[in-house]
Amino acid sequence: MTELTFIAQLGIYAMMFVVLAAAVAAVTLRNLFHCALALAGVLIGVAGMYLAMHAEFLAMVQILIYVGAVMTLIIFAIMLTQRLGAGDVAQNNKQSLFGAVAAAGFVVTLGGILWKTPWPVKEEAVTSSFSASDLGESLMTTYVLPFEIIAIVLFAVLIGAIVVARKDAPKGAEQ
Amino acid sequence: MEKTVTLQDSGAIDTQTLDINIGPQHPSTHGVFRMNMKLDGETVVSLKPVMGYLHRNHEQIAENMFYLGSMPYTDRLDYFNSMTNNFVYALTVEKLAQIEVPERADYIRVIMSELTRLVNHVSVTGFLLNDLGAFFTPVLYAFRERERILDIFEEVSGARMMCNYFRFGGVKYDLSGEALVAIKDVVSRFPKFLDEYEKLLTKNEILCMRCQNVGILSPELAISASITGPMLRASGVNYDIRKVDNYSIYDRFKFRVPLGKVGDVYDRYYVRILEMRESLKILEQALKEIPAGEIMAKKMAPFVKAPRNFKPPLGESYARVEAPKGELGIYIVSDGTPQPWRYHVRAPSFINLTILEDLCVGHKVADAVVILGSVDIVLGEVDR
Amino acid sequence: MDQLFVGIKTALLSMLGTFMPDWLVTVHSVLISATGIAIFGPLTMMYLTLIERKVVARMQNRLGPNRVGKFGLLQPVADGIKMLTKEDIVPYKADKLLHLLAPITIVVPALMVFAVLPFGRGMIAADLNVGILYFLAVSSTTTISIFIAGWGSHNKFALLGAMRAVAQMVSYEVPMVLSLVPALMIAGSLSTGAIVAAQAERWFAFTPWGFVAFIIFYLCGVAEVNRSPFDLAEAESEIVAGFHTEYSGMKFALFYMAEFMNTFTISALAATIFLGGWHGPFLPSWFWFLLKTYILIFVMIWFRGTLPRLRIDQLMGLAWKFLLPMALVNVVVAGFWYMSSGVIRTFGSIACLVVAFMVLTALNRPYVPEKREYTFAEN
Repeated sequence: MTELTFIAQLGIYAMMFVVLAAAVAAVTLRNLFHCALALAGVLIGVAGMYLAMHAEFLAMVQILIYVGAVMTLIIFAIMLTQRLGAGDVAQNNKQSLFGAVAAAGFVVTLGGILWKTPWPVKEEAVTSSFSASDLGESLMTTYVLPFEIIAIVLFAVLIGAIVVARKDAPKGAEQ
Repeated sequence: MEKTVTLQDSGAIDTQTLDINIGPQHPSTHGVFRMNMKLDGETVVSLKPVMGYLHRNHEQIAENMFYLGSMPYTDRLDYFNSMTNNFVYALTVEKLAQIEVPERADYIRVIMSELTRLVNHVSVTGFLLNDLGAFFTPVLYAFRERERILDIFEEVSGARMMCNYFRFGGVKYDLSGEALVAIKDVVSRFPKFLDEYEKLLTKNEILCMRCQNVGILSPELAISASITGPMLRASGVNYDIRKVDNYSIYDRFKFRVPLGKVGDVYDRYYVRILEMRESLKILEQALKEIPAGEIMAKKMAPFVKAPRNFKPPLGESYARVEAPKGELGIYIVSDGTPQPWRYHVRAPSFINLTILEDLCVGHKVADAVVILGSVDIVLGEVDR
Repeated sequence: MDQLFVGIKTALLSMLGTFMPDWLVTVHSVLISATGIAIFGPLTMMYLTLIERKVVARMQNRLGPNRVGKFGLLQPVADGIKMLTKEDIVPYKADKLLHLLAPITIVVPALMVFAVLPFGRGMIAADLNVGILYFLAVSSTTTISIFIAGWGSHNKFALLGAMRAVAQMVSYEVPMVLSLVPALMIAGSLSTGAIVAAQAERWFAFTPWGFVAFIIFYLCGVAEVNRSPFDLAEAESEIVAGFHTEYSGMKFALFYMAEFMNTFTISALAATIFLGGWHGPFLPSWFWFLLKTYILIFVMIWFRGTLPRLRIDQLMGLAWKFLLPMALVNVVVAGFWYMSSGVIRTFGSIACLVVAFMVLTALNRPYVPEKREYTFAEN
């Protein structure tokens, strides 16, 4: 079975590499639609990594919400902002050198902090596996307050969307 | 390309209108017909019909052709209802040359006209449902009955669709015994077929949702735009040329004229169904009363073998019939020669199309296609 | 007979085990299931096209294809050869990468969901314990593919069709997921195998909440697959072919394949969750599963041959104003069913559902057909 874990590890590293490459593509490509698709690739890759860490529920929900719904929203937004698909947005400007220096400084600082911090990992967190029903139970008992707050926020978003869309209705098509 | 985003309370976000072309190659514009639409989202803001893709110079050809030679060309005007086109041409020339048609020929003409009306109304209902998305099933049900009627046409005139059957002064061939039996058979089967057809369609919720209150035509607009035919009667205006003019022998038959109230697509569909039932009544009466006799006026006998000698007197005439699509009329000015001086066709589909924009503005794209289907056009007539 | 396919697979694996190391046998076990699905999926799709054409033809009073091979059985092969040999036309200004990517990203999820369908007793390719969620997640990625197809065609009609399709699919996902929730609540698990096992005595469709949930799920499934009467996105009479107008040859064949495979999987899922999966007397389990699935597919084909199509706003109105509240009420009623027992539970739930249905129908009043009066001119 060690061969299988070896192949699995190779696969996981390959997936991480693809996720990083897609993330780089999402910010550097000229065609905005291609960037959006690269972002979708990143999100699917992240779901794959969740699967590798035995968090299946989270992986599936990641695909359902992020790739299924949020990406649709992002693509709609892209389509509404520009009519042309050709990339005519400049990728660099005169301050790119300064930006590169600042980004490098940031990476070094943050990387140093991350490297030096001891991240304690509990034994049970690695070996335990819990089901969707455990997740539901904890959402309803331990984490009920964040759950309800998120529900209210989403409700407000829904109402806001309907109100914004309705403002067009008396001017545009009536039904 | 104006896009203004104002961030006030009344959040007016102007968006661009989308300019699309439906047609001329399109599965459901009933022929080569183009509609230039401006859409705001899904709603039609403006619509300009563009016609002329099937223009075949019918009138010009007729003005250079001896009178009887144009008869096959009239078949191809409204290629669904060739008998009716023949009828109106024959009527015009008979009015011009003062020819009396024998009684049997008149009865045969009425029978053929009403059979054509049945064919047209049942097919156009099928095509309307095709536009609605019912994937050909009503069309094929309708075509079952249409095939029987086309077989009758073939028996009588030799051709299924381009019949070239009527002549000035009568009809070309007589109705044989088998043809009469076949017509009686069709007439007896049709009511049952119509009941089955209606059971599937009339109360269908999706049909009602898609067709009611869509494309409402007010009677005033209809009259001022010269709309005729089932479109006019669905808006409630009582104008049926068979009753108004009493041409041929229509005054001998008892039939009613159905009228709608609202004038939307559903009314036009249902008025056509009711008209089919009235046509069946006319056919029954005609089949009962048809006399024996000749089928060609004596006056026209010398021209049977030499049609190129036919020279109607100087003058002009306009005759019209209640074609299944509306008022079909032909206007001829004769200068005494075997070719007409001026020949003009008043095509109902063309005139009925002029208000397409008024009917469609404010509705969605899907409705625009359905409204076009309910206007019932045939491009051969629109473009001539 | 019941364990025919399981037996074949174990025999193959034991044969391989004689000369292969253990880990390779595990890999092969997965590969055999995957190959089985990869053969079954497209084969189903091919013969589904033939079945659809013949059934619709019979409804229209004519025969379907019957020239190519006896009863037209080789017609799908002829169709496949035709699609393969057609010229692949890409519009001049279209984005070539997107044009290529769309059919691929629509077919792959359609094939992936076959992995969680319980074809028979012990015949699930991958019994994930989040099986239903996997199905919903993977089929929700189809919306992006349709977007890519519409945008990549560089055609206004295609874009219009793609936006309509995406709006429709996103709206119908909500009642679909909500209608599955009662079944998950009562079965207590997200795994398809466990849901089928929970229906051993009584199928979920024979309970009041299950019946309503089944109807809602089936209607939403028909809308998700973009079939009549919800096939706005490919409305032939309005925008030629919607988001796949500009596709020809093998790429169009892939779209077509994805649609039929989705039809199969939605019907299979409905049969699994509500109609008892592979439970049934006497006959082998996989036969019952296929029978139930094909009956549901037949009903979908029946819809296609009979009903006209709904307009976009009526479609959305149906989803948001009728199916969604009904699904929410259904979740509550399922909870009530679980908590109570006896006569009150049956009558209570049926009463609740009927009242909800009538209230919603009354609130959606504008969609009821009006009665019309027709007069005849008097003379």
